[in-house]
Amino acid sequence: MPDQPLFASYHAAPGHGDECLDAGGGVQAHWRELAAHLERGGRAQLTRRWDEGRRLLRDNGLAFQANAGSGDQRPWPLDPLPLVLSCDEWDGLAAGVAQRARLLERVAADLNGARRLIADGLVPAGVVLPHPQCLRPCRGVVPPGGTHLLLYACDLVRGGDGGWRVLADWTQAPPGAGAALENRIVLARALAEPFRAGRVQRLAPYFQAVRACLRALAPARERPRIALLTPGPGSETWFEQVYLARYLGLDVVQGDDLTMRDGRVLLKTLDGLQGVDVLLRRLGDEWCDPLELRGDSALGLPGLVEAVRGGGVALANPLGSGVVENPALLPFLGGVCRQLLGEQALLAPVALRWGAEAAAAARAEPSRWLLRPAGANRGAGWRLDQLDDEERRRLEAELEARAHAWVAQELEPWSCAPAWDGGALVPRELVLRLFAVREGGSWQVMPGGLARTYAPGEAAQGWLGRGGGAKDVWVRARGEVADLSLLPADGAAVELVRGGAALPSRVADHLFWLGRYAERAEDQARLLRAAVARLADDAELGGAAGPAAFLDLLRRFGQPVDEIDAAGDEARLLLLAGDPGACGFRGLQDALRRSGGAARDRCSADTWAALSVLDRELGQADADPDANRILARLDRVVFTCAALAGMGRENTTRGPGWRFLDLGRRLERASFTAELLQGGLCDCPGAGSPALLEALLQVADSSITYRSRYRTALRAEAVLDLLLTDTTNPRSVGFQVRQMAEHVAKLPGGGRALPGPAQRLATRLQADVTLADPIALAHDVAALKALLASVAEACAGLSDAVTTAWLAHSAPVRTFLRDGRQGSP
Amino acid sequence: MKYRITHVTSYRYAEAVALSHNRAHLAPRDGDGQRVASFALDIQPTPAAHRTGSDAFGNRVDAFVVQQPHRVLAVAARSEVEVERPPAPDPSATPPWESLAVTAQELEVEEYRWESSLIPASPALRAFALANTFPGQYVLSAGLALTNAIHRGFVYDPRATAVDTPVLKALELRRGVCQDFAGVLIGALRSLALPARYVSGYLETDAPVGRPRLVGADATHAWVQVWCGGAAGWVHLDPTNGCIAGDRHIVTAIGRDFADVSPLRGMVLGGGASSVQVAVDVARV
Repeated sequence: MPDQPLFASYHAAPGHGDECLDAGGGVQAHWRELAAHLERGGRAQLTRRWDEGRRLLRDNGLAFQANAGSGDQRPWPLDPLPLVLSCDEWDGLAAGVAQRARLLERVAADLNGARRLIADGLVPAGVVLPHPQCLRPCRGVVPPGGTHLLLYACDLVRGGDGGWRVLADWTQAPPGAGAALENRIVLARALAEPFRAGRVQRLAPYFQAVRACLRALAPARERPRIALLTPGPGSETWFEQVYLARYLGLDVVQGDDLTMRDGRVLLKTLDGLQGVDVLLRRLGDEWCDPLELRGDSALGLPGLVEAVRGGGVALANPLGSGVVENPALLPFLGGVCRQLLGEQALLAPVALRWGAEAAAAARAEPSRWLLRPAGANRGAGWRLDQLDDEERRRLEAELEARAHAWVAQELEPWSCAPAWDGGALVPRELVLRLFAVREGGSWQVMPGGLARTYAPGEAAQGWLGRGGGAKDVWVRARGEVADLSLLPADGAAVELVRGGAALPSRVADHLFWLGRYAERAEDQARLLRAAVARLADDAELGGAAGPAAFLDLLRRFGQPVDEIDAAGDEARLLLLAGDPGACGFRGLQDALRRSGGAARDRCSADTWAALSVLDRELGQADADPDANRILARLDRVVFTCAALAGMGRENTTRGPGWRFLDLGRRLERASFTAELLQGGLCDCPGAGSPALLEALLQVADSSITYRSRYRTALRAEAVLDLLLTDTTNPRSVGFQVRQMAEHVAKLPGGGRALPGPAQRLATRLQADVTLADPIALAHDVAALKALLASVAEACAGLSDAVTTAWLAHSAPVRTFLRDGRQGSP
Repeated sequence: MKYRITHVTSYRYAEAVALSHNRAHLAPRDGDGQRVASFALDIQPTPAAHRTGSDAFGNRVDAFVVQQPHRVLAVAARSEVEVERPPAPDPSATPPWESLAVTAQELEVEEYRWESSLIPASPALRAFALANTFPGQYVLSAGLALTNAIHRGFVYDPRATAVDTPVLKALELRRGVCQDFAGVLIGALRSLALPARYVSGYLETDAPVGRPRLVGADATHAWVQVWCGGAAGWVHLDPTNGCIAGDRHIVTAIGRDFADVSPLRGMVLGGGASSVQVAVDVARV
């Protein structure tokens, strides 16, 4: 099939303006370079490039957007085509956004203070006072430097008249800057040529400014601690937050990781409590302090508002900035701008009415106005003409009683831009989010942004909900673009540091379990692989262990062998290995997602890429059980696990984080190998037979070593030495317990005069295994069995002891108390 | 009238509490017909930090943190207050309510016109308000009409509601205690766009000879103030007792609803199960 042109067959959506096309349907000047480049490669190349782009997204862990609450993840819907903005257009937008940020800072200061704007009649009281984010405890609290807004984002749309209009202001914890950065990193690689040739402005200066802004909030001390306060992995934008924190070099902390002493905010780490000077918060205002703000918030830190009052910690944005994240303010800010700044507002809002006027407009022309709650930028919208009688009656009653809580937004077609739907370019309606940060007394706008896209006509409602596609935003530079990075360019002396940031106990816990689950995945895959390989490998049938022996081994590890309904052991084995739900891979996938996701900010990019591949492989099912296909997949699982383990060894600095990760892995492997030996040498039918000995060696990846050492028939004592007592074999139990003992001794607090419970257990375990005599044990099945059982038990005990000593959430339950209702004791 | 007031709150915990953050609205307000002769707050164990400040509504607030492990937290507030309020204005001297509903008032009055977290606006509150008032009615007459409608039409029943019962539920049940009744009255007044505020305080309950004993003994009390225009100002209405509050009502804190002024709220780490005991004594001296 001849390659169809991409842009020549692209048409604007009827009734909508288009960012790419001019009035005559031709590609606009600032898009031409990109269009020509894509056209040269054609559909085939774009498809190929985008496959690569999507893989990059996945492998960098940028691929996901968690669904709030459920913890499920769905792919980040990035489009391969950026939105391109010309320099002239950008200059106007950037000036407008900077002016608006400057204005909103002044408005926030006033509404959290004297409220002159209300007294002077520039803003109706009903817009501000009942607004859910008008938080009385924040009134009168003067933030450091007296600045009430530091980070700002603005959602813009282009209306029918061709001008950009403000759809919303984000002033609490503006979301999306991290996503913009992720998009850029992927697109700059997937579309490397047009990106370089197109003189696209870099995003790094913006993030430099964010870092400087946060640094300036900290008291003048050598190394202030700055952390990102997150709602946690359940948050819709969790991956973005982690990405941002890591790019900025911040700790990611949850409310439970923090505590308070003497008016200071402290981070609970393995090394004890450590002061936090600045919090970049991703929590809405009302969630930050359950004592003074929302009593039902489990996210923030009790006493945080009081700590801010006392100057013990600084927040970005300062608490109370949410008072201007208020859709109902939109129509009034033009007048406020003239009054407060003495300037004409550069950006006008979308047509929007508040209160009784909103209700009147919607009643008069129901199809033209979208009714929205005035309390937030998120939620849902309704058109009166699309409701049934009952719904309409209820909404009318609500408007009558609570008109102040509603706005009506005029529906109009917003401009579209081309997006790739996998086969052709199609128009998608746009909402453009731009970001600004206040640094050194002025506002800097990120030269780029995040565009969300929707099917034409669906943007107004889609934007209120969650979802929509995502686009990178390319702002063309006037001259050459300098390459920048976040490293300081001034050659200032750097204080060398070893050991790095202190590790929050919660993160250490997740690393420990990440190590355990990753090892468990590898162990299970090795066992399944050895079992299936025997089936595929008819040639060695003579001396090989049959499926029955393997089924028995698998049963020992909790595989639901007996629940599989199939004729013959061979078929059962294949069904088990082909079903990720049955063989436990699905459960491991979930567990790895939880621990891996929660420890995301401690994983290197490569580690994360390996985890993503493992996630994919673990989730795959083989509906039609075919031994060769299953083997190939199990091979990939084993390789990926090995890659993960290798990165753990080679690419991780030897801090406490690494120790917990490796301790988890060693503990799991010791326990697995002990269990495996117990099955193959003591318990299984045919225990100790050459066929089973061969299987043990194979599962433990030690066949080659055995052959090179002994070149003889398989002997139980030799196998036992290799897999139990030989501390030079990195798969033996002896090797694991030696490492475990070393880790436990070197964990924080390990140098105490008296060993703790974990150290005692580890030392005893090491002694038991080191002193074992493989020759004697090979001839005394009962003694061997007792030893192996005690090893497995000690591993479980050690895991508990480590958890109690270092990892147990030292955060006891928080309780909200008040002294009962009034009027009745 | 001069009173000596003792208000002791004790929390007992099954396990040790490691850290406890608290905010107290326990000091009587000075001014507006009240003079505070003395106030002392005794907290056991001794807090590591204790700051006295003023909240957004002009109430004194005591913020304190206990950092040492403890199983009992005892907070005792002792005060001596003199109350002498001017007589309530003649209702017919107050303006018709509609005039106050449309005119913007000074900022600190506007604060109380709008719905708040515990008293959301609703069609039911508006229907209740309209059914018990009439157009052109003097604002204080309208306020008293609603006060009496609650006093006569609602049953005082501590078992019907709890500390977190929504105002709309109390309105539907026509039952509750002073906190519920104050919430309903405020919601009804605000549904007419009249500024109304929540008053937390005490009520002297030692009944003079031959007169009925007022409800609210040995507990904190809650009632309402309605804005009656610049001349009459805020007038106290007590829907639990169906009267204008006078010299036997002692004000500690004023806010939009209970959440703004709850006498003592705290957040503790640990502690397990807990119980609270509140003892209030209002004695005339």
